[in-house]
Amino acid sequence: MSKIDDTRKGDTSNEQLFTLKKWNAVAVWSWDVECDTCAICRVQVMDACLRCQADNKQDGCVVVWGECNHSFHNCCMSLWVEQNNRCPLCQKEWVIQGTGK
Amino acid sequence: MSMLTGKEQTFKIKWPTMEPVIQKLLKQHPVSRQEWHDLHWDIHSVCLWDNEDGPQKVHNALKSDIVNFVKVAQERIKSHHEGHALLRAYVAEWQKFYDQCDYLPAPFAQLEKSMYDRNKKKKDENYGIVRKLMLDTWNESIFMDIYEILKDRTMVLIRQEREGELLDAQLIIGVRQSFVSLCSNSSDPLEIYREYFESAYLSSTTDHYKTEAETYLAENGVREYMKYANQKILEEIKRAERYLETFSMPALTQYCVEVLVSQFSDSILAECQDMIRKNESKQLNLMFNLMDRVPDGVAPILQCLQDHIIRQGLQDMNDCRNVVTTDSEKYVELLLTLFNKFSLLIQQSFEDDPRFLTARDKAFEKVVNDHTVFSLELNTKAKHNPTKLPPESRCPELLANFCDMLLRKTPLSKKLSSEEIDSKLKDVLLVLKYVSNKDVFMRYHKAHLTRRLILGTSADSEKEENIVEGLREVGMPADLVNKLARMFQDIKVSEDLNQKFKESRNDKVADLANIKILNAGAWSRKSERIPVSLPTLLEDLIPDVEEFYKSQHTGRKLHWNHLMSNAVLTFKTECGQYDLEVTTFQMSVLFVWNMRPKEAVSYESLRLATQLSDAELRKTLWSLISNAKMKRQVLVSEPKVSNPKEFTDSSMISVNQQFCLLKGGKPQKRGRVNLIGRLQLSTDKSREEDNEGITQLRILRTQEAIVKILKMRKKISNAQLQTELVEILKNMFLPQKKLIKQQIEWLIDHKYMKRDENDINTFIYIT
Repeated sequence: MSKIDDTRKGDTSNEQLFTLKKWNAVAVWSWDVECDTCAICRVQVMDACLRCQADNKQDGCVVVWGECNHSFHNCCMSLWVEQNNRCPLCQKEWVIQGTGK
Repeated sequence: MSMLTGKEQTFKIKWPTMEPVIQKLLKQHPVSRQEWHDLHWDIHSVCLWDNEDGPQKVHNALKSDIVNFVKVAQERIKSHHEGHALLRAYVAEWQKFYDQCDYLPAPFAQLEKSMYDRNKKKKDENYGIVRKLMLDTWNESIFMDIYEILKDRTMVLIRQEREGELLDAQLIIGVRQSFVSLCSNSSDPLEIYREYFESAYLSSTTDHYKTEAETYLAENGVREYMKYANQKILEEIKRAERYLETFSMPALTQYCVEVLVSQFSDSILAECQDMIRKNESKQLNLMFNLMDRVPDGVAPILQCLQDHIIRQGLQDMNDCRNVVTTDSEKYVELLLTLFNKFSLLIQQSFEDDPRFLTARDKAFEKVVNDHTVFSLELNTKAKHNPTKLPPESRCPELLANFCDMLLRKTPLSKKLSSEEIDSKLKDVLLVLKYVSNKDVFMRYHKAHLTRRLILGTSADSEKEENIVEGLREVGMPADLVNKLARMFQDIKVSEDLNQKFKESRNDKVADLANIKILNAGAWSRKSERIPVSLPTLLEDLIPDVEEFYKSQHTGRKLHWNHLMSNAVLTFKTECGQYDLEVTTFQMSVLFVWNMRPKEAVSYESLRLATQLSDAELRKTLWSLISNAKMKRQVLVSEPKVSNPKEFTDSSMISVNQQFCLLKGGKPQKRGRVNLIGRLQLSTDKSREEDNEGITQLRILRTQEAIVKILKMRKKISNAQLQTELVEILKNMFLPQKKLIKQQIEWLIDHKYMKRDENDINTFIYIT
């Protein structure tokens, strides 16, 4: 991306016209999901699910990925599998690939 | 059984000793203790031992005594022919007699008991036989004869008192007592009091004031008249408390109000507007007290006050049009001055009556949400968007700006004490209560908060968090408030993360960086990828940060936000060494000259080197060439440009080697300057999307709410639906009729609901 590589010569050099003193970098994180909305509760996965919003437990509301690569709120999915151990989107058997942290 | 002999004689034996004592009692002559005792004893023995109907004999004998006594009294009273003397004599006799009504029955307790036993009646506590006998006798012989005269005479006296003469209140009270006590109709003992005394009193009251009030009003004007009327009503109430039974008070008040207030309502109310305008709180208080006695009397005052607040509010806004549209502090101040002025008026004039507070609130809602003076354009230029929103008041935006000035390190927040800031923030929340489009305020407030947190320019973090709670309390949508709270949390989490990152790297480059990693849901929903080239140092750092972050969290992806990122550069010139606070874009531009410090670089080359879009590069260059805060600029352009549009591909731009900071006109060797200004949160393109976002969100919220209501009600009329919808949405925004209609149509088209076949104004939920 960069075409400016002069800083490589050493940031200690006093000959530099502009020297970087501090960089306040800002990044935003989001869950690495294919679909932004949780198909179970219809809330964006970046927001806590309705249940957690109501209980004010936004922090603990994470995302879960299945082997099928579909993702949902972990709380929504754990309620779902009690009824039906299949992915609501593709009907494949639900196997957890991982949960967000 | 010799004891019983002569028992039938008991009455004959005893009566001659009893009678003189009874006579003494009637005449209020002194009676010795022995006589009093003996009377009790004698009556007792006659009633019990005279087997030839002793009680009846005593009763008859007593009756004839009383009748005789009353006859004599009647003679005495009737000897007076002139009304006043007659009244006086009557009351004197009555009072004596009435007092005896309490004493004389006492010795006859056994008589009453025997007579009740015989008739198997229960004893009436208030009207013992003897007492009733006394009063009935009085009634028949005297009162029935002269009550008309007494009543008329009494009314004359009351009229004289109203005209200022002093008189003996006992005369009137005595007559009233007669009317109350002397009624032959036992099912309605107050009949004659009501029909004669009370009604005469009431109509004489009306007659008295009918002409007097009108003359007074005509001669003295409304302001004086109100004082007069108020005073007269109080006087009459006081008088009536003396001369009437308690249960007559409501009727009396009603008659007074009728004659003194109701008939002049129009004249009194005509002054209302003028008084409100002149802030005559005392007069208004009088008016309030008078009109509040009339049924529905204050309604016109309420309307008048409400109209006045709206008119005054809008006029003030219009008069200061130029100031308030740009200066949010002045705007809020103006609103609060109005608010406090009218709140004070309501307190002083209308005694904080809830009806008036409601009128004030209604009027304020109007003023605050009025969009004639300044309007906020939420409409997007996009043609595919069919929802055109009507213009809205800029009030929420101005409030958010003012809030920012108080919470950020600004000249204003530095000037004010902590308490002053708190009270001004409270004011903002107060005005916010009246704002109907709260979602707009939240959007601006969040943008300001984002800048403060990213640049670290909050004046006081405790106040920041307090205001979030304040917003929650005034009923801001919980999900939006929660996001604000989340933002503070992210900043704290980022500090910890930064610390860990530095410890894991422990080198100079990591020390340079201060990383904030924020929750996309709380900070910004959409994030665009903005092309910009960074110094290699940083390009290399980014993957390291990402890798470190992955080790801390799973399932997350990072997106660098170069709009919010910023930097501090050290700038060396011939004059000295300066720290520049710059945006990422400015940094990218300035670093171009590190390779060629003295050269002039063409605009075109800069665009290639920085990868910035044309619009962003123009803006960035302009901020470095023409910064209003500085005498000497960082960059210079050849030829000179007077606005960002004048840069051409061949414009040659170079670093100003003579750059320095001036203080009091003198060049400084060192210093620090902020070139960031107001941190740009989005590019122009995404700002438009942002506006669309608000519109879109409103559409979704409206649809959501309609479905929610229908799900609950199954079937609902249009009017009911509208009301419930406003109730649900009012904390976010006030849904426009047009918007609601469009969304209902959309939901019908998409088979979420349908119209009732029999009534097109009723909707039915489709499951």
